[in-house]
Amino acid sequence: MGPPPIVTGLSPNEGPPGTRIKIRGENLGKSPQDLVGLTICGVDSLLTAEWKSENKIIAISGPIKGKGDIIVTTRSGGVGSCNVTFKGYHIATIGPMKESAVWVEETELFTWGRHSLSPSSYQQEDPLGLSVEDAEKKIPEDDLLQFYPTRNGDITSNDFSAGWFLLENHQTTSFNDLHAGLVHLRRKVQGQKEGQLSFLKANIGAVMDQIDTLVNLKDRYEADLPKLGHEPTLKLEKAIKESEHEARKLFDEVLNRKDRAEKTRNALNVLTRFRFLFCLPCVIDRNIKKGDYDIVINDYIRVKNLFHKTDIPIFKAALNEIEKRITDLQTKLHQDLQNMPITVEQQKRLIRYLVNLESPFDAAWDAIKARSEYISKKFGLIHNYHKSLEKPDSKSKSGSASKYSKYNKSPNTEITIIPACVNFTDEICLSITETFPDLWKIGQSYFSGELQVKIEAGRQTEYKHMVMNVIETYCKYVRGSLIPNTLDKTERAQYGTLTLPERDEMALYLPELLHSVRSAYSTFIKLDLPSEALDLVNLVLLDLRIHCMSIMFQQTTEQIKQLTENWKINYTGKFTGVTELPLKFLNLIEDMMKAVKESVLSIEQREISLLENQMAQKEMEKQMNNMLIAFHNVLNNLSSSEDYDECENGTPVVSQLIGTPVSSHKTSSKSNIPIWEHRLLIILSNCLFTKITVLDMLVTKFKENGFPPLQTSLSSAKIKLEQLEKSILDKYLEQKSDPLVGTIEPSMYLGRFDWHLSIPPNDIRPYVKECINNLINVHSEIIHISPTLLNAVLPQVVETVAEELYRLMSCAQRFSREGAVQARADIIALQEFLEGYSTEKAQHYFKEAIEVVPPLDRTDEIIVEDILRQCRARMKIQVMCLRKA
Amino acid sequence: MAKKTTVQPALHKVIMVGSGGVGKSALTLQFMYDEFVEDYEPTKADSYRKKILLDGEEVQIDILDTAGQEDYAAIRDNYFRSGEGFLCIFSITEDESFQATQEFREQILRVKNDDQIPFLLVGNKCDLEEKRKVTLQEAQDRANKWGVPYVETSAKTREHVDKVFYDLMREIRARKKEENKTSNGRGKDKNKKKKLKCIIL
Repeated sequence: MGPPPIVTGLSPNEGPPGTRIKIRGENLGKSPQDLVGLTICGVDSLLTAEWKSENKIIAISGPIKGKGDIIVTTRSGGVGSCNVTFKGYHIATIGPMKESAVWVEETELFTWGRHSLSPSSYQQEDPLGLSVEDAEKKIPEDDLLQFYPTRNGDITSNDFSAGWFLLENHQTTSFNDLHAGLVHLRRKVQGQKEGQLSFLKANIGAVMDQIDTLVNLKDRYEADLPKLGHEPTLKLEKAIKESEHEARKLFDEVLNRKDRAEKTRNALNVLTRFRFLFCLPCVIDRNIKKGDYDIVINDYIRVKNLFHKTDIPIFKAALNEIEKRITDLQTKLHQDLQNMPITVEQQKRLIRYLVNLESPFDAAWDAIKARSEYISKKFGLIHNYHKSLEKPDSKSKSGSASKYSKYNKSPNTEITIIPACVNFTDEICLSITETFPDLWKIGQSYFSGELQVKIEAGRQTEYKHMVMNVIETYCKYVRGSLIPNTLDKTERAQYGTLTLPERDEMALYLPELLHSVRSAYSTFIKLDLPSEALDLVNLVLLDLRIHCMSIMFQQTTEQIKQLTENWKINYTGKFTGVTELPLKFLNLIEDMMKAVKESVLSIEQREISLLENQMAQKEMEKQMNNMLIAFHNVLNNLSSSEDYDECENGTPVVSQLIGTPVSSHKTSSKSNIPIWEHRLLIILSNCLFTKITVLDMLVTKFKENGFPPLQTSLSSAKIKLEQLEKSILDKYLEQKSDPLVGTIEPSMYLGRFDWHLSIPPNDIRPYVKECINNLINVHSEIIHISPTLLNAVLPQVVETVAEELYRLMSCAQRFSREGAVQARADIIALQEFLEGYSTEKAQHYFKEAIEVVPPLDRTDEIIVEDILRQCRARMKIQVMCLRKA
Repeated sequence: MAKKTTVQPALHKVIMVGSGGVGKSALTLQFMYDEFVEDYEPTKADSYRKKILLDGEEVQIDILDTAGQEDYAAIRDNYFRSGEGFLCIFSITEDESFQATQEFREQILRVKNDDQIPFLLVGNKCDLEEKRKVTLQEAQDRANKWGVPYVETSAKTREHVDKVFYDLMREIRARKKEENKTSNGRGKDKNKKKKLKCIIL
């Protein structure tokens, strides 16, 4: 016996009969059947009780008045107890002037019970005959109960207490009114005592009529007696019995017919069931043909339920037939399942069919295996296809490739044939992004139990192996086709049989391919693959990015190598004498950097920055170095090649006093290539420009594009450029000073002149003028190309002139007096004119030369001064030329 | 007296007052039966009574859940007379219900004629923070003015539901003890009353 029910809550806690009460509490029965008793204030209300839960019952109060408990009785807990009380009351009338503590269901009030409970009977007339308005202040019932325990104010009750009644109803009535009420009550009691006699008196006529009627009835009955006998009902009884018999006969027939009909129906049912069994093979065939496997499965399960225990041979035979069909179907479905390509949804449906058909196959696992095999097979197919395409392709290519030498082929050449390895990589990326997610999805649903298949032990690792294998194969194919050098020999033989296109071509496609691989990678990331698999692809991506970067660098290096000089001097800007060459170089690198930044350096999901990778950094450094060396070589080649000199060997090197000046200004009119010396100067100024400006610009560009500074390669390039500069300068000086210096000696001794002859000097000698003019010539040439070079070149030339002068002076055997004067005037003139561009060394040579000449006396010195004065005046323009600005 | 408590645990009569729809019945049902009733059905007058452990002492709580609707305003006096402690509920999502508490408070004080009657101001529906119309400060200020505690509850999440009933019963118990003392020794009731007031608050 469980705990007894207890009522702890009532809503509402009072009301007239017919109030719907929500009774709450504990253990109010475990079910509607468990609830066996319910009394509200002693009135059984089980009929209206509505069991909701163990804690809640809804019931309707019966005809009750006064306070009372609500007792619930259950089968399981017995008779219960109650904590709260319900108060029932009768409402006289509900009118606009009367207020009520509860909502009065007026409809229920009027329909409750039968006539005895009609509203009029509620309305108790006050026994004192006083009109009782509901007292303003009622005394609470609890208090009354305290005053009159075990009594109440109900006048019909045995426990009626007049005190209670008066307190309840006439608390505010005045004594006089009460007195009048008492008189009224007495009169009424008196009236009731005399009641019976006065009633008869008042109705005498009606009573007499009743007696007459009774007498009449008796007479009639007695008159009929002889006609019908003592028992008039016998005949009737017989007739009734007869009719009953007839009725039965009628109905028996109907009932029999009904029985027969039922039997027939049963028989038909059985027949249809058998028909279902025997027709099923055909139906199955038809439905299989239509593809309605759901119906087949449904039928099969039904027939199995109906007949699987049968012992009747013919049924068994039919069942066998069905089983055979089903087995065929299973095999067919199983084959369909593994027949690729197929969507995951289709596969799932087929797996469900097979599971429902209780097939012996491990359908889900087979589906996964089939998928994985399909992917590897597809990889193989794509690979072979492209390999087969490549063969004729490569033949035609080798023919066309020979036409272009590697260096002449400009990168803009339209390439109509996309190389096989590019196509292959593209397609394999596409293929894996299409096929792999399905494998992963079906695997996930297999292991999450969505396919409702039992998962065998060890499958998890096998599946992981499978997935890893697919990813690995994919990675190897990508590596094999694009960067075979990252595979070892045996793998290369397996995966990398496609020939790689040339570098320039590759550079065109690599960023695009990188994008394909990246999109495949992002697909993997979206699928939430284990990091083990993702890392594999990530590594490939990293290698590919490095490779791509390297190729792009190489391509740029190649383009730098092919840079040519157009010798057009750009006069604008800070640097003069500079051609487009260094800027072209800068642009090439800049373009490359942009491309690299866009494609390779950008970091996508789950990738590391290339700049943090040591290998990538090393590679970048190396490639950068190559690039700078290439440009250096370009400059070097330009400075050392005199190959187009033959057309202009007639250009004058220096004006010469001896012999005819050969075709003095036959500048090359047919080509705009300047003469060799000019070219040297141009290269020199380019060199300087590159060293000072371009390299710095490169550094800032590196920074802007997020490249590492690559300090070492830049500084080594600087050193190299400096060396080149020096060698070019040497070359130029050689070209210029040698002939200049060479003319001095023959010109000095022209006209059989010698220092020991005594020819009175009146001017400086022509060789000095010639020398000065030649220097002016050089000066103008440099100014023409690049004034910045002036300080680097001219002093060197002056130095060699001074040295030659000293040499010639020290070679003179003897000076006459006039000769000494002449020599001194010559040397001082030269020294003066060239002062602006004289190095210390040159000054030193001039001094030495003067010291070689024998000293002069006062008069001779005046002659020298004289000559110089005249000379200065005459050669004013020349002096101005050589003066430093 | 002692005999009575051993036989029947002390009975504390609690009355729920407040405007219609603020959640008086919801709080009561949550406290009594741990259930949250979603549908709204206006109460007429409901009684609940159960035994509980108040600080280790077994007591009975009698809850009279009254009608909030204005229609029944006139008969409230009758109910209020029997109450020993009051939970005055309003909904923090409805300012009108908060304003109505003033009226309830006045009526209770008038009927009970005692400004120390155990009384708690309760802001219900505190789970609907986003619909709040009555600020915590406003309510707290009013409670301070009256010298009563203010608690926010949620009949839906049962937050502070037990707290308000238990807190009120503790006040009722303390109040009854005090009354016993004052009835025993009338001499120094004034001081006592003042002191106790401080303890309660």
